[in-house]
Amino acid sequence: MTEIPKIDRKSIPKTLQRRQSINGTFLIAPYLGHQAVFFGYALLWLVFLTFHRWNYLSPPQWYGLNNFVQLFNDQTFWLVVGNTFNFIAYYIPMVLILSILFAMGLSKLRYLTTFVALSFLVANVASGVSYSIVFTKLFSENGPINRFLWQSFGFTIPWFSEPQLAIFSIALMVTWKFIGYYGLIFLAGIQGIPKSLYEAAELDGANRRQKFFKITLPLLNPSMIMVIVMAITLSFGIFTEPYMITGGGPMRRTYTFMMFIYDNAFRRFTTTGPGYAATISILAAALSFSCIFAIRKIMERDVEMI
Amino acid sequence: MKIRKKTVMLIILEVVMGGLAVFWLYPYIWLTLSSVKPVDEIYTRFFPSRFTFEHFQFIFVASDRMDRDFVRALWNSIFVSTTVTFSVILTSGFVGYAIAKIHFWGSKFLKGFTIFQMLFPGFMFTIPSFVVVRNLGLIDSLAALIVPGLFGAWGVFMFSQSFKSIPTEYIEAARVEGASEMWVVVRLMFPLARSTASIVGLFTFIGVWDNFLWPLMVIQDYDKMPLSVLLASFNHQYGSYVGPVLAGSVIQTIPMVLIFLFFRKYFLKGISMSLK
Repeated sequence: MTEIPKIDRKSIPKTLQRRQSINGTFLIAPYLGHQAVFFGYALLWLVFLTFHRWNYLSPPQWYGLNNFVQLFNDQTFWLVVGNTFNFIAYYIPMVLILSILFAMGLSKLRYLTTFVALSFLVANVASGVSYSIVFTKLFSENGPINRFLWQSFGFTIPWFSEPQLAIFSIALMVTWKFIGYYGLIFLAGIQGIPKSLYEAAELDGANRRQKFFKITLPLLNPSMIMVIVMAITLSFGIFTEPYMITGGGPMRRTYTFMMFIYDNAFRRFTTTGPGYAATISILAAALSFSCIFAIRKIMERDVEMI
Repeated sequence: MKIRKKTVMLIILEVVMGGLAVFWLYPYIWLTLSSVKPVDEIYTRFFPSRFTFEHFQFIFVASDRMDRDFVRALWNSIFVSTTVTFSVILTSGFVGYAIAKIHFWGSKFLKGFTIFQMLFPGFMFTIPSFVVVRNLGLIDSLAALIVPGLFGAWGVFMFSQSFKSIPTEYIEAARVEGASEMWVVVRLMFPLARSTASIVGLFTFIGVWDNFLWPLMVIQDYDKMPLSVLLASFNHQYGSYVGPVLAGSVIQTIPMVLIFLFFRKYFLKGISMSLK
């Protein structure tokens, strides 16, 4: 490459700098315009909607804080809150443990690394609608999994028709989809741990379990926080899987925030409408932020690797 | 003796992980095989006794008589995803360049704003975005799927990060030689950030293709539906046509698998970049 002479910023003439500044503004103007509409204007609508009642047709009516009052007295809202935590209780431990195990296994592989990593990752690009269809068929009453269970053990599992099991099955599918992705995050964490730490521990006579719990796990803390934050956000925003597979049932135990928002905004708009839906989405966001905040407060440690 | 035991353990690990990897692929394998099986074998046999393309034929030829035009939906999906992807790469490149390399009034604020925006969970904006798109009169048009996605904060962020590491001297030298900003971005910056462009493009394309809730909200007209929504509505109404439903699922998800395999290098890079 040819030598490029260093240029002092101050040596650039003022007019050139001015022109640059104008050019910069010109470059970002379309972006700002777009953001003004789809972020700023949308944010205004979000605030506006929470204080109004509207059915899309007649002019919106001032509703004060009644959307919030009504929501706190809405049994369905509390059901959805419960459902979400129920889902999190299955999903986060499952996906966390399995993806750490996956990452540890992957870090020790010598020959099949690429194949294994790609096989797990390809699950992550599965399109929501089609993988929901596939799992519905796989787990159905006469699907291949139940057929296999019946032939070898003489029983079948009602994957999607028993309430707790349905939540668990959806958590299982989402786990299938995300282990590869979260696993790679953990793998990067594991590879960042210096080997010398393990060697020192071995000299001190540490066994395998001690090495895992005293070195690996504590040093994976940042990756763990990151995965948990992503998993919480996903749990509050999940829609496609329950909408496609269970439609919120059985006994509305797989009814999620996003379905609740969607139904209120588009299905029952004679009584509630977008104002109520917007209020739900603000509370869901607040709840998800508090969960993330709480997890950070409880779990976050300063990790330093030397 | 100890080393021997360790080798055996490592071999067992390779076998177990390899087996799990195949097990993880099982849903894909089952889906692909089922879409080419005769209908009575879908639930009864793993390997088909004969291959048939009747389900795909049904999807592509007969489905438009049921008001579900899959060919059309496939084109809609390809058109929308491609347009949004190219727009995001292009606009994010320009805006990212402006943020990273041009000093202008408010550039610091813009950078902070971009990160601030990414903190909001997407579901908070679904309803107000719907109202905005409705006010713009875009409901039931492909524009409703494209226009909101023309710019993306995440892409801007990725590009500005990657441009920051390119020495400013290159740009100043080009400017002194009389190059316009346009030339700098198109001929100098983009070629140096090829892998960022691929990452942003890949994740955007897959995200738009996969999106379900948004098109479900803004599109009611069967002719304008992307594949995800059309497939869902077909499954809803004609769920008993198992073969065609699975063939439709293949059409919706296998292109993503192929794109993923083709760009796997960038996918891995994208994940490790998002860690920083």
